[in-house]
Amino acid sequence: MSKRENGKVMKDLKKKLKKKIIDIAQPREKRIYIRVEPEKTPEVVEYLFSKYKCKFCTASGIDMREGIEIIYHLAREDKNMVINVKTLVPYSKLEIESIGRRIKAFRWIEREINEMFGVIFKGHPDMRRLILPDSFPKGKYPLRKDFKNSDVTDEDYDYERSGI
Amino acid sequence: MNILKKSFKKSIWVFHLSTAACNNCDIEVLELLTPRYDVERFGIKLVGSPRHADALLVCGAVNAHAKPRFLEVYRQTPKPCLVVAFGSCGCSSGIFRDSYSIVGPVDKVLKEEDPDAKIVYIPGCPPKPEAMIEGIIKGLEVI
Amino acid sequence: MKLLFYYLVFPGFLFASVIGLLTVWLDRKVSARVQWRYGPPWYQGFADIGKLLYKEVIIPEEAFGSGFIAAPLFGLASVTLAITILCVSFFGISEGFIGDIIVVWYLFAIPAIALIYIGSTSGNPLSSVGVSREIKLLLSYDLPMVIVIVIMASKAGTFSIKGIMEWQMVNGSNISNWYGIIAFVVAIFCVQAKLGRVPFDLAEAETELGSGILLELSGGVLAAYELSKAMMLFGLPMFLIILFWGKGIVGGVLMYLLIIVLLVLIKNTNPRVRIDHAMRFFWGWMSGAAVLAAILAHLGV
Repeated sequence: MSKRENGKVMKDLKKKLKKKIIDIAQPREKRIYIRVEPEKTPEVVEYLFSKYKCKFCTASGIDMREGIEIIYHLAREDKNMVINVKTLVPYSKLEIESIGRRIKAFRWIEREINEMFGVIFKGHPDMRRLILPDSFPKGKYPLRKDFKNSDVTDEDYDYERSGI
Repeated sequence: MNILKKSFKKSIWVFHLSTAACNNCDIEVLELLTPRYDVERFGIKLVGSPRHADALLVCGAVNAHAKPRFLEVYRQTPKPCLVVAFGSCGCSSGIFRDSYSIVGPVDKVLKEEDPDAKIVYIPGCPPKPEAMIEGIIKGLEVI
Repeated sequence: MKLLFYYLVFPGFLFASVIGLLTVWLDRKVSARVQWRYGPPWYQGFADIGKLLYKEVIIPEEAFGSGFIAAPLFGLASVTLAITILCVSFFGISEGFIGDIIVVWYLFAIPAIALIYIGSTSGNPLSSVGVSREIKLLLSYDLPMVIVIVIMASKAGTFSIKGIMEWQMVNGSNISNWYGIIAFVVAIFCVQAKLGRVPFDLAEAETELGSGILLELSGGVLAAYELSKAMMLFGLPMFLIILFWGKGIVGGVLMYLLIIVLLVLIKNTNPRVRIDHAMRFFWGWMSGAAVLAAILAHLGV
């Protein structure tokens, strides 16, 4: 794709999403990074998913010191672009509104981010454990940077909860 | 009774159980039945139900998901029975030793249920089929 | 007293179980050779039964205890009785009675009913899937086989085993005619389904259902079932020999080996079929072939 074509996508998004985003950047030819506040993220992602006809690939999370940064990766295959929507959810208020309430594709990944990082997704219809066992102790989040493997010992597993 | 005990060594039926394994060891078990390492000449047969089994081939580091289920399968196997912990993950937990959801290698989990369980260890990642055959035959002398 | 000897020793329980277990070994050895492996040694069948008697029997909580243990023994007893009735006429030990071929065929059906009983009282949902398949299979392969028996009996003019054998001694064996060959093919498939072997082993499908009906059997109960299966592997080819060949020890042994080799080859070259395929096969093609054989038999070809 030529630079002029990609510049077109950037300009288009800038025009449509002017008020809602913090900033938008295109560091490489096929990647666009949009930074958004946590309150505005569901709007932007749903706009990209429904009206802009992007496909949802996955979501990822990483523990920055101030909070958890969640990135939603969406793709536009006809224009050969991957559009990433970044939000930083601070530790002081670890909540974000759930997109899985309306769109089914987001449900499982939000369950996984919830159990691994502790981010609360408001309004999610089915917040159960996805990959951790049911007997894993509550309140411990394995993918945070301050989690040590010695935090969870064998006695903490509560097998009654797994129902076997 | 002596002749029955002798016939026990000549015909072992195995049941394959995989707890949180990477499936590499499972493929090696399948290889044992192929013409190159044919184990049917020792009388070993792969069965589909733990009730018919004489030996449990357990591979994989045991997960918290898998622990109650593994103990349940062990209880359902008629004794006398041999437990074969094979692969590095089965003997010690291998490289997953400090992980947050691995509860322990096979013998640590099994000793809670039955301290007198007979366990054979076959290390390797994955173990070669020749090593597996030798391990099972050595285990037969224990029973 | 003499009857007890016939039932328990020769040609009853001891004789049939020894030859049956050797036939099971032959089956496994030929299958292994076809797949370019070595097979098990000759005492493998005996070692399996001995090992099963050494283990403990676990009866699950939801199972109906006494029926669970009694059903395989019942199957074993009826198979022994069927083989005894067959072989006393074949070896010329004593006279049979009119209609004993029908009695033998339906005595061979009792192990299947015992299997259905075990599956239903196991208290396991996988067993009940196996039970429904076994019932449908039992209804399917009965029809062509009964047509074949009626053809042979009507040719001989009598329903007794001795009568059929003597008719073949006089008029040449049934298999040397065209209707005999078609009926033999039909009968081989029906016997394969009755023995529960690939391609018709839906009821105890090992990889699909975790051994299906036999899921909950262990120890001595499983030994009784395996023994009855081994004896059926001896009894059903004898049944076919009587229907299609007649008397003669040497010819009988050769025919026995031929039938075993055919059964093993069908087992090794086919995948497992679905139940609707099996029903269509038996009620469609096989019944049609049996009716064709009946027409040819009537015309005297």
